[in-house]
Amino acid sequence: MRKKPLRVLKLIALYAALILFAIFMMGPFLWILSVSLMPGKNVFSSPPAIFPTFIDFDNYVQVWNYMDFPRYLMNTVIIALMGVVMNIFFSCLTAYPLAVFRFKGRDLIFALLVATMIIPAAAGMVVNYLTVKALGLMGGFLAVVLPSAVTVFNVFLMRQAFMGMPHELRDSGKVDGASEFRIWLQLSLPIVKPAIAVIGLLEFMGMWNSFLWPMIVLNDTKQYPIASALSFLNGQFSYNFGWIAAGTVISVIPIIVVFLCTQKYYMEGVSGAVKG
Amino acid sequence: MKKTPFFSRFGKSEASVAWLFMTPGLILLALFVFWPIIYSVPLALTNYSVIGKTEFVGFDNFVKALQDKSFITSLVNSLLYVIVVPFIQIFSILMAILVNSNVKGIKIFRTAYYIPVVTSMVAVALIWGWLLNQNGVINYVLSSVGLMQEKITWLSNKDTALWTLMFITMWKGLGYYMMIYLAGLQSIPKDLVEAAMIDGANRAQTIRKITIPLLKPYVFFCTLISLMAAIRVFDEVFILTMGGPGDATLTSSLYIYQQGFQQFNFGYSSALGLIVSVMIAALSIVIFRFNRKGGVNPY
Repeated sequence: MRKKPLRVLKLIALYAALILFAIFMMGPFLWILSVSLMPGKNVFSSPPAIFPTFIDFDNYVQVWNYMDFPRYLMNTVIIALMGVVMNIFFSCLTAYPLAVFRFKGRDLIFALLVATMIIPAAAGMVVNYLTVKALGLMGGFLAVVLPSAVTVFNVFLMRQAFMGMPHELRDSGKVDGASEFRIWLQLSLPIVKPAIAVIGLLEFMGMWNSFLWPMIVLNDTKQYPIASALSFLNGQFSYNFGWIAAGTVISVIPIIVVFLCTQKYYMEGVSGAVKG
Repeated sequence: MKKTPFFSRFGKSEASVAWLFMTPGLILLALFVFWPIIYSVPLALTNYSVIGKTEFVGFDNFVKALQDKSFITSLVNSLLYVIVVPFIQIFSILMAILVNSNVKGIKIFRTAYYIPVVTSMVAVALIWGWLLNQNGVINYVLSSVGLMQEKITWLSNKDTALWTLMFITMWKGLGYYMMIYLAGLQSIPKDLVEAAMIDGANRAQTIRKITIPLLKPYVFFCTLISLMAAIRVFDEVFILTMGGPGDATLTSSLYIYQQGFQQFNFGYSSALGLIVSVMIAALSIVIFRFNRKGGVNPY
């Protein structure tokens, strides 16, 4: 009898805490949205404009006309898809024998790969720059994608997935006379689809948000992906708050939409990476 | 084929097929993961830069690094940045406990908390840079609630800049760690807690004796990941402060970058990279040694 009001109180406290955290995590995004919708408002005015008092899409129209957003978004999509396809292809190929074959040196290769995970990336950037230059790739999308076309982390995730595959599968393929490649393509890959989805998504988001490496290897700002373009825009027009706010919203919305549509696989992948 | 004995079945042919599978990926990894490590050793022993003749200089770069005040400052700052790690664990575990409850709309909250993780650091840094400006929203809110007398220039004051960056790093990462801890909490069998309760254990006891021990591998994983991220921190510093004011927020990653791509001292930059790599590698070994007792595998 006495328990009921206590439970209601607990529920209220829970929701209060949830909403408080939601304001903390989402507030900045809602604020930038509100700033982007109020042309001419200074973000540093006092009192500051937190909630939109009027709505106008002028900032969007102007920044869209000034910057070639369709092109930047196109660049980003191309770069991200290249990264996704290469990562899936190469890590599925590389991880497969590491998980299911038995051969000399397998454990050594795996240990070597894992050891590289602890070495900081900043140290390798100079050498990678020189390598990309020596390969004559400077200024092209391949220069952006190739250094991260296969990552140790993804090989790791795929190996984990292949190891969960039943042994009988490969044996049955062999009995039927299928080649190792066909067993890989037609029997094994369908089973690890969830893991493929996960590395695809992680890679897509990573590529979408990378800004520094593209700026280093691309000479022409017209080739920039969206995050680099946003950083560039900020450098050029740091005083035009409305434009930058609108540009930020434009750059953020696609990736949030992708996340919302795929979050089921994505969340499973993030938590699955630990269990392994 | 089917009749071949076990040993030859896993013998030579298997190995050659294995190498066939791995070659494309291994070539790329060799080129962009192993080569940078190998090549930066000879590079670090030269004065290679865009100007002048490249000469072998022995350990000059390493001697120079130890006397380089900015480099020492950057190391100290990178180590200070590690202070963010326990705060990340506390807040993300708290959030995970909150979103682990089974109430209406909980999925919306989980998603909302995760949004900062998927957005780019460029966008996040831009937004927080404005919010934390001297005349920004944060200062206005804090002073109108009476929590602050004088306006703080969060990112351009040498006493607050590093801490402010750490706050932004934490804010962006919380959702990621929350999801991992949530997976950890959900992996704890409910019967276990119920059984303990029936046996007369109270709430605090079940948390101490069941939840915390079972959550340990997750805490280890998250601590390791966030520690590595903190020591390597780059993006937010690069976008928001560029190491300033003065050297107040200069981190080692940023300094390696500046020496390489702004000063074009490729040799010196490689030497700095090697020093930091060795330090991080040593740190990882220490952490794994400490953890070996628990017998958890972080991946």
